[in-house]
Amino acid sequence: MNKGTEHPLSILANQAYDAFSDMGFEIATGPELESDWYNFYVLNFPKDHPALDMQDTFWIKNSKDLAKNSPDFAPLDKRTGDQHDSLNSSPNLVLRTHTTTVTARSLEKAGKDGRLPAAFISIGKVFRNEATDITHEMQFFQIDGAMVGENISIADLKGVLTKFYKKMLGEEIEIEFRPSFFPFTEPSIEVFAKFKGHWLEMMGAGMLHPNVLRNIGLDPSKVQGFAFGGGLDRIAMIKWNISDVRLFYQGDLRLNQF
Amino acid sequence: MKISYNWLKWYVPDVPTADKLVDIFNYHLCEVESIEKREDGDIILDLKILPNRAHDLLSHQGVARELASLLNIAYVDPTPKYKIPESKTTKLEVKIDTGNCRRYMGRIIKNVKVGPTPDWVVQHLASIGQRSINNIVDAANIVMFDCGQPTHAFDLDKVQGGVVVREAKDGEALNTLDNKAVTFKNSNVIIADSKNTLAIAGIKGGKIAEVDNNTKNIILECANFDSISVRKTAQALNIFTDARKRFENDLSPELAPYAMRELSSLIFEMCPEATFEDIVDIYPKKQESRKLSFSTDRVSKILGLKVSVDEIKDILKRYLFEYAEKAGKFEIVVLTMRLDLTIEEDMAEEIVRILGYDKVKGDIPKINFKPQVNKTRAKIMWARNKLLAEGYSEAMTYAFCNKGEVEVQNSASDKKFLRTNLSDGLKESIKLNQLNAPFLGSDKVQVFEIGTVFKKSGEEMHVAFGDKKGVKEMKLDEFISPPRLSGSPPQKGGEEFPPQFGKEGAGGGNFKMWSLFPFIARDVAVWVPENIKSAEVLKVIKENTGDMVIRGPELFDEFKKDGKVSYAFRMVFQSYDRTLTDAETNEIMAKITSKIKENNGWQVR
Repeated sequence: MNKGTEHPLSILANQAYDAFSDMGFEIATGPELESDWYNFYVLNFPKDHPALDMQDTFWIKNSKDLAKNSPDFAPLDKRTGDQHDSLNSSPNLVLRTHTTTVTARSLEKAGKDGRLPAAFISIGKVFRNEATDITHEMQFFQIDGAMVGENISIADLKGVLTKFYKKMLGEEIEIEFRPSFFPFTEPSIEVFAKFKGHWLEMMGAGMLHPNVLRNIGLDPSKVQGFAFGGGLDRIAMIKWNISDVRLFYQGDLRLNQF
Repeated sequence: MKISYNWLKWYVPDVPTADKLVDIFNYHLCEVESIEKREDGDIILDLKILPNRAHDLLSHQGVARELASLLNIAYVDPTPKYKIPESKTTKLEVKIDTGNCRRYMGRIIKNVKVGPTPDWVVQHLASIGQRSINNIVDAANIVMFDCGQPTHAFDLDKVQGGVVVREAKDGEALNTLDNKAVTFKNSNVIIADSKNTLAIAGIKGGKIAEVDNNTKNIILECANFDSISVRKTAQALNIFTDARKRFENDLSPELAPYAMRELSSLIFEMCPEATFEDIVDIYPKKQESRKLSFSTDRVSKILGLKVSVDEIKDILKRYLFEYAEKAGKFEIVVLTMRLDLTIEEDMAEEIVRILGYDKVKGDIPKINFKPQVNKTRAKIMWARNKLLAEGYSEAMTYAFCNKGEVEVQNSASDKKFLRTNLSDGLKESIKLNQLNAPFLGSDKVQVFEIGTVFKKSGEEMHVAFGDKKGVKEMKLDEFISPPRLSGSPPQKGGEEFPPQFGKEGAGGGNFKMWSLFPFIARDVAVWVPENIKSAEVLKVIKENTGDMVIRGPELFDEFKKDGKVSYAFRMVFQSYDRTLTDAETNEIMAKITSKIKENNGWQVR
């Protein structure tokens, strides 16, 4: 029997997981329905701040009842056996706008379990409430990761991402950093990759903001680390020259060409 | 933020060419979204000022100061040129009745002459897309784009009594300068007089005290409002203005006196006969001077780049920070406008972006991490590999649909619910793919999806798989657990179902978009002598299919009988720019048939 064909985003996700696993990253997963705490506030997004405009969010109706039913939103002590009070028991829910939520949850747990230094990588579906066109989708996949330890630096971030993009897009890839801003990183960086002669914006990154480390129960005077995140769909579109992001979610097997 | 190159040059005459500036901005400050050459020779750079620098960079002077420090070039201070005649005592009364106004500076100017605006002001405003209205309004406007402080001018003779900054009464109303009627809630902050509502604080002026062509006397406002209060009010009223943009990003109240001076001097330049009264300055809570400490070692440790004490000193001097240094530890006095600098990490960013991120060299940390196996991931991979091995192809469909149990509050699309199952989407997928079965090279379309569904009880990871006869769906955990499976379930997370897919080798080449026009599939079956290989027949067909064949010829059937062998091939024809007709395909098939017949003993069935 012929084997079935694979979705290009799955192929890419597997390759990305392999690339990061080779560098010691642990694969992490987490809920798509997320609390506003993990999606925003744990990540140092201030309430009522223009930074929240950066991500058009799907807020969930009647989310208090929904949150009550789900183990993902139980206080952390119910999830891990440790005491933690930053997550209130009936949060507002959103469809996660990034998988940095998973990074935060994983680092928080690793800290509690005494498993630092640690590095996590997660690839998952995220959602943005915006009109769709050839480069915008309401759902897409994000690749998000972080490494935390005593001395993890921007130089390490550059080394790790260089190795990653060379694996994904070819040995000739160069990467560079440019200034940016995200509430959850300081310094904040935009990562560019040179592919076929053009510098392309690939992902956001930076050093985890001390407030984020504190929010997940870590001590910023003892540990530091980098985080990064960007669209997997975008890498796929660049790698294979796919012109319309909407093709990924039509259930059309003609997409499975690789 | 649109920056006029010529305007910028007033303050930094040695500024590099606009082309060079693009790289300087991109690598050291922020993204240049566009660059536009104007007919008058000016060049406009549209800068995407980052939110943490919106306190000090949403102005030409702000950007010029940054460039002067970054590039170590001269900054021409305009203040010596600001001339204001000696002011007279004033009767202006200002009262702040809300915690959301941090400072209010007002000044009465009498005997102004409203009229046309000097050319240079018109030109500067036009270069960044702003329309000239009259000299007084233009002066207030240009000061904002020049130094970053929003300002406003009221017609003094339309104001009754003093100026009050207060929270609105529920239902209080105002017509804005652009004739939009707004109604306030009591959390909104407004500017009022003893009788009327004059303006939405920090957002938009009102019609009542508008400066018009008959205006003789004015009140200038240079104030500072709480960023969150401005944002909430503007959001509720759905008003976007340049003033709002600046206030909601938070400005230093220390900017107000500077702007008052610049604005006053500009009005004096335009109306030399005007008389100026004293400034009334209500400033309930002064912005405190802040100190910030950081160490060279810590900055180097964050960056993974050895930065020297001298390099840091050089940067601090260029950026005009007062500082003290001892054994590599710095203490600086933060510039009043730099509200973004609060922690050591901010200085690490400041130093590295000024030096350039290219100075940081990549490194792979040599840490022996001990990653654990992710069980969810392992289960998904196991299920996926099993289904792929069984001939199911992988699809992804939309999480949004028309009905369900979990609903989003607001959506850019008409699908406001999240799916409760994968089957509905997968059935559509099968229908679509069934139509394309010849294109896909298979009669039997088998599809699967592994994904999240959303129910009242929360989200669940499901597996669905099927074909045109039907779709089965279950929770991922049920799918991988016995006795449903013939293969053994994973004992622990890491085991994978053989053979494993998605590894090395997959993923080369370029994507080929399919044609949106209909395709036509045709078969041809040929009897040939037993010693003839299928490849020989294939070659003849291939040479004659023309350029419209998008799939095939592929051998799909073969059998022997009476010393002869029958090969059946399938081809799919399709055009990228039009609908192919039957007649065209018939013609191709006729050509193939006749070419086959040219061979001895070959026969088309």
